[in-house]
Amino acid sequence: MRVFGVAGLATVLFLVLASGFFLLIGQNPLTIMVDLVGFAFGDSYSISESIVKAAPILFCALAVIVPARLGLISVGGDGQLYFGALVGTGIVLAMPAAPLPLLMPAMLLGGALGGAVMALVAGGLRARFGVNETITTLLLNYVGVLLVNFVVYGPWKDPGNLGWPATIGFPPAATVPGLFGTRAHVGILIAVALAVAFHFAFAHGRLGLQLRVLRENERVGRMAGLSFAHMVVLTMAVGGATAGLAGIIETSAIQGRLQPGISLGYGLTGFLVAWLSGHNFLYAVPLSILIGGLMAAGDTLQLFAKVPASSVTILEGLLFVAMLAAAGIARKRQEAA
Amino acid sequence: MEAADIAGAWTAATLRATTPLLFALLGETLVQRTAIINLGVEGQMLVGAFAGFAAASVFGDPWIALLVGGMAGLLLSSVHAGLCLGAGANQIGSGIAIWLLGLGISSFYGRPFVGAEIVGFGPLVANPATGFRFVDQLLSQLTITTVIALALVPFIGVWLFRSRFGLNWRAVGESIDTAQALGLRPWLIQLQAILVGGFLAGIGGAVLSVDYTETWAQEITKGRGLVAVALVIAARWNPFLALPVALLFGGSEAAVLRFQAQGVEISSYLLAATPYVICILLMWIGYLRVRGNGYMPAELSRIFR
Repeated sequence: MRVFGVAGLATVLFLVLASGFFLLIGQNPLTIMVDLVGFAFGDSYSISESIVKAAPILFCALAVIVPARLGLISVGGDGQLYFGALVGTGIVLAMPAAPLPLLMPAMLLGGALGGAVMALVAGGLRARFGVNETITTLLLNYVGVLLVNFVVYGPWKDPGNLGWPATIGFPPAATVPGLFGTRAHVGILIAVALAVAFHFAFAHGRLGLQLRVLRENERVGRMAGLSFAHMVVLTMAVGGATAGLAGIIETSAIQGRLQPGISLGYGLTGFLVAWLSGHNFLYAVPLSILIGGLMAAGDTLQLFAKVPASSVTILEGLLFVAMLAAAGIARKRQEAA
Repeated sequence: MEAADIAGAWTAATLRATTPLLFALLGETLVQRTAIINLGVEGQMLVGAFAGFAAASVFGDPWIALLVGGMAGLLLSSVHAGLCLGAGANQIGSGIAIWLLGLGISSFYGRPFVGAEIVGFGPLVANPATGFRFVDQLLSQLTITTVIALALVPFIGVWLFRSRFGLNWRAVGESIDTAQALGLRPWLIQLQAILVGGFLAGIGGAVLSVDYTETWAQEITKGRGLVAVALVIAARWNPFLALPVALLFGGSEAAVLRFQAQGVEISSYLLAATPYVICILLMWIGYLRVRGNGYMPAELSRIFR
């Protein structure tokens, strides 16, 4: 009941804030919101485009939620996504003629590995030296983007591209298949499967309990023989691997080659979704599709209503503000009662 | 070029790269001293950079631009204040929300100003002839913003450590309960700190767009606000230490630009990643030294580890 109260309050707050923003930019809030819903889920094409955006968002949200089960705040989705794309692409470039049963799993594994390595830079510093993981993951985002720029402008650039910074196109054996002939791809199915698997692995059962004990009271956890440091490494690695998968799948299925600008802020959007879900793996699935729809609708809105797509970033910020305010107010009420 | 010229040019380039960061860093130091962490510095710098640049192109006066940029940062930081102090929201989450808002607002409203031209601050002295080539280099390449930023370091340091107001702020950062028992109103002090921090971050952003680069581009700050949050820890919440720490980062940034301009064989993208790596290293060293002693404001350590 209380959860619905918070969600309801957050929704009302968000609608008020968003309406204010639309009025400010001279749009009728009611028509534009109806338009947005239509652009997001109105026909099969918009739905498929919304799913295209939802896949990396869901991966990145899971990458936030896994460490959050231990109480860690990782905001490194984008950096992990980019480095996953880089390592996965490296495997494709190393054996472009390999058959699908070898290349596809190797590529995906490479992506996961890359993401995990990036996350473990922050995770290792936290586990060993107590360095705050929020700030290091944030800074590593910039490193990840620059490393991809380095390879696509440098050693991995396909000379046949006439100066365009990108690698060679991925062979069919390294192309994540699409769904029903649309741009939507198998990635969303993998992401949903992971969400369910993580729900049972990290939110329930023995491991879920261990994480909860350590999150709520590290000292009690230690007395029970649990190691906070080990769990930091485990959750950061799994989270990073998940974001890395988003990177290589996005590169393979949507771009078809490694090039700059793989992520349109999926890392931060995933962070938003993770918090909206209350760090619940299963709630993250529908929320990713909703926010993915908002992002896709923003693109269409730019095309038809000449409203810049960056309005979506503002809306995401307002949504975050509304959710935080609602959650904070609810907690204050509870403490007062 | 003589050695004195080269030394002067390097020093000037380092100081210029350091200046925007220093404003934000000093502001966030004050904020964290009152047991509030604001990751929204990045967003506040962005709106400061955008609003400052817009003001410069409309009014043609860089001083008004700095003021407008500072006010934009302050305005955005008031959202953080409302969420953290008013609604009791999670501070890390709120900071990210502020960042998203700042990113969105500056991209949305900044579009017409991409490529616009503005008049920035001129050099301190146009054609200096002091007889010392090192000094001449500095005078001809630095602007007034660097002087203000450098002057702010001792000002804020003395204010924080030697004035009664500073004592009150630090008291809140060490223990909100004790501060309350002393008759202070912690929320009011935290509110003031957040707004001052927002103002300084906004000025830092405006210095970046109006003075340092004299351009506006989407996401122009490239993480400088997040770097500022990291360097507060590296500087152990001490405004005096903020200067050398910021100089290390600014120096690495200036070196990257120099190397790129000279066409060094290393990829410019790899070079561009080094300041972030250096920032992480500085933070790591900071943690090694912070461990086990009381540098971190005690109340801050309860919300932020």
